[in-house]
Amino acid sequence: MNPNSTHAPARTAGGEGHDGHPGARGAAGSWWHGRSGLVVPLILAGFSTYLLVGILTMRVPEGTDPPGPAFFPALIAIAGYVISVLLAVSYLRSPEPAHPATYAEHEDVSDEERRAAEEAARVPYRTFSDWRCVAWAAGGFFAFAALLTVLGWILAAALLFWCVARGMGSTRPLMDLTVALTVSSIVYLAFAVALGLNLPSGILGGGF
Amino acid sequence: MEALGLLFEGFAHAFTPLNLLFVMIGCLLGTAVGVLPGLGSSMAVALLLPMTFALDPTAAFIMFAGVYFGGLFGDSTMAILMNTPGQASAIASTFEGHKMARAGRAPQALATAAIGAFIGGMVSCILVVFLAPALADFSANFGPAEFFALALFAFVATSSVVADSVLKGLASLVLGLGIATVGIDSVSGTERFSFGVPQLFDGISLVTVTVAVLALGEVFHIASRIRRDPAARAMRPAGRPFLSRAEFREALPAWLRGTGIGLPFGVVPVGGADVPTFIAYGTERSLDRRRKDPQFGKGAIRGLAAPEAAGNATTGTAMGALLALGLPVSATAAIMLAAFQQYGLQPGPLLFERAPELVWGLLASFFLAMIVLLILNLPFAPLWAKLLLIPRPYLYGGIAVFCGLGVYATSSSTFDLFMLLTIGLLGFVMRRYKVPLAPLLIGMVLGPLAETSLRDALLSSGGDYGVFVAGPIPVVIYVLLAIALAISIAGRIRARARQDV
Repeated sequence: MNPNSTHAPARTAGGEGHDGHPGARGAAGSWWHGRSGLVVPLILAGFSTYLLVGILTMRVPEGTDPPGPAFFPALIAIAGYVISVLLAVSYLRSPEPAHPATYAEHEDVSDEERRAAEEAARVPYRTFSDWRCVAWAAGGFFAFAALLTVLGWILAAALLFWCVARGMGSTRPLMDLTVALTVSSIVYLAFAVALGLNLPSGILGGGF
Repeated sequence: MEALGLLFEGFAHAFTPLNLLFVMIGCLLGTAVGVLPGLGSSMAVALLLPMTFALDPTAAFIMFAGVYFGGLFGDSTMAILMNTPGQASAIASTFEGHKMARAGRAPQALATAAIGAFIGGMVSCILVVFLAPALADFSANFGPAEFFALALFAFVATSSVVADSVLKGLASLVLGLGIATVGIDSVSGTERFSFGVPQLFDGISLVTVTVAVLALGEVFHIASRIRRDPAARAMRPAGRPFLSRAEFREALPAWLRGTGIGLPFGVVPVGGADVPTFIAYGTERSLDRRRKDPQFGKGAIRGLAAPEAAGNATTGTAMGALLALGLPVSATAAIMLAAFQQYGLQPGPLLFERAPELVWGLLASFFLAMIVLLILNLPFAPLWAKLLLIPRPYLYGGIAVFCGLGVYATSSSTFDLFMLLTIGLLGFVMRRYKVPLAPLLIGMVLGPLAETSLRDALLSSGGDYGVFVAGPIPVVIYVLLAIALAISIAGRIRARARQDV
């Protein structure tokens, strides 16, 4: 589903995957390079365990005919464990290092853009994902969810907008703040005032 | 030809200036709601349901038709431009459609979608007019074993045939199936996997999961790379505003194939238009692999044309099924059924006798809505594409805000917002490691159907597993499934052999 998936040498063995970018990332030499995807089987196994605990603690009403409510989830949990083991084995045997997005040959871009993308792809980073940016976006959403009822829609949504914009690399905090407040106010007017959706007004309450 | 005469009476009924106005308003409102990320046509119909009660039944349903199809149009518009489909039926359109938009072909993608929706919708409406009684007979044969076979078919098709890695596809499917089991069991009333948390009793809503995985996950994914690669940032809305003759010829067979795939699904309650859209997408993809110059992954016009046509073809026949059988096959159809009951009308075979002017007026207004939407959307396509000129930080800031709005508006619960965040992070991890997202959503949508039909079948047979292959329809479905699997495995082995050379 990713633009790169058709080009990435997904099944090449060992360290061949990053041959185009020698020393592309700081972690390239470590065992974890290309194996951080083990987190996927880990999540799946964790979720299967959640189902398993749920099945074991489930209180089925008396007189329920088999197959009862635990039957289908049990099938899923078993499948989950089997698939997570197989996935883990596949990651251990053939790591899948991530590739920074560069343009494929068929894409219609100027040489300059192409060169810029390739240069950017060669910059070494410790991790493939820019966790600081993700933290801004996810943290902003967490704050939004936690503060929505207290601050009210306008302020909380503006906060969310501002944090995500900042995470996306915007460098003008004050301008962002203006845009954020405008967007959240327009949404409030359109959906809460005009369409009658239930959005909390919070500490600005009474104004509308 | 009796049907034709009745339809013309319906047109006469629908063609009053006032009713035309209602179709227009419905289309505009539906598109406007559908355009919002995370909100689809079922949301549009639900939001606007109370408004229509002020009208007389015919006008209300004519407006509904506009809202419904408008919502579908708006939904696929956003799915293409921003990769934020509002409901499951627009997911398949994001795969190639969004790639087209990113490659600077947004207006063409929107035109492809609009024409595809028009063709699929038109053909299905014509079919409904003539075949409504036959449809009733066909789906009366469906029992639990048949539904289970259908759900299984959809699971295998999406997770192994469509996905690049079978294991990752299955992992995604298992997550989706598991999420769908949370909440009170509909058969026995047992509390499942909620661990006493009251917000989980009703289960995790599909809206939350869809918005989280597709929209919020995308925001995190973009954030994780935006400062590091320029290629991920680039999205150039440019180029010609309309399809070239070559593009039209390229898309035409896909539109027709998509329509053909979508038509029969309208009568089969497998969760609405999403299954046929995925099957249409998968078909085009496997056909594409045989071509000399495969287009999929680069923004293939056929990969967008087929699911769009299939989705609207299904929607059209689904309306037929609702009217003729009283059988709601999707969330939106269920809301419309509720609206009928508000007016004291019970959809079903009797409706054609009791309120013919309403039925035929409604069918006529489907045709009108299609035409109005095509007229509205073709010129608007370049305009919607201009949305992509918004600077990245503000675009994704806005998407994040709308994610919050969509989920909070449907549930009014902060708990759902935290759920949205958690599943959004899951969506991010899945994108990062190229785990396909579609199987998760399919598992979530069809999981409950698969489970109840599995249990019903086993209950009624007293635990005898032979019941699943007792009828002719499931056997046919399993044979088709085996053929699809064989083709997919053969293709994989061939691809590996080629890679080794």
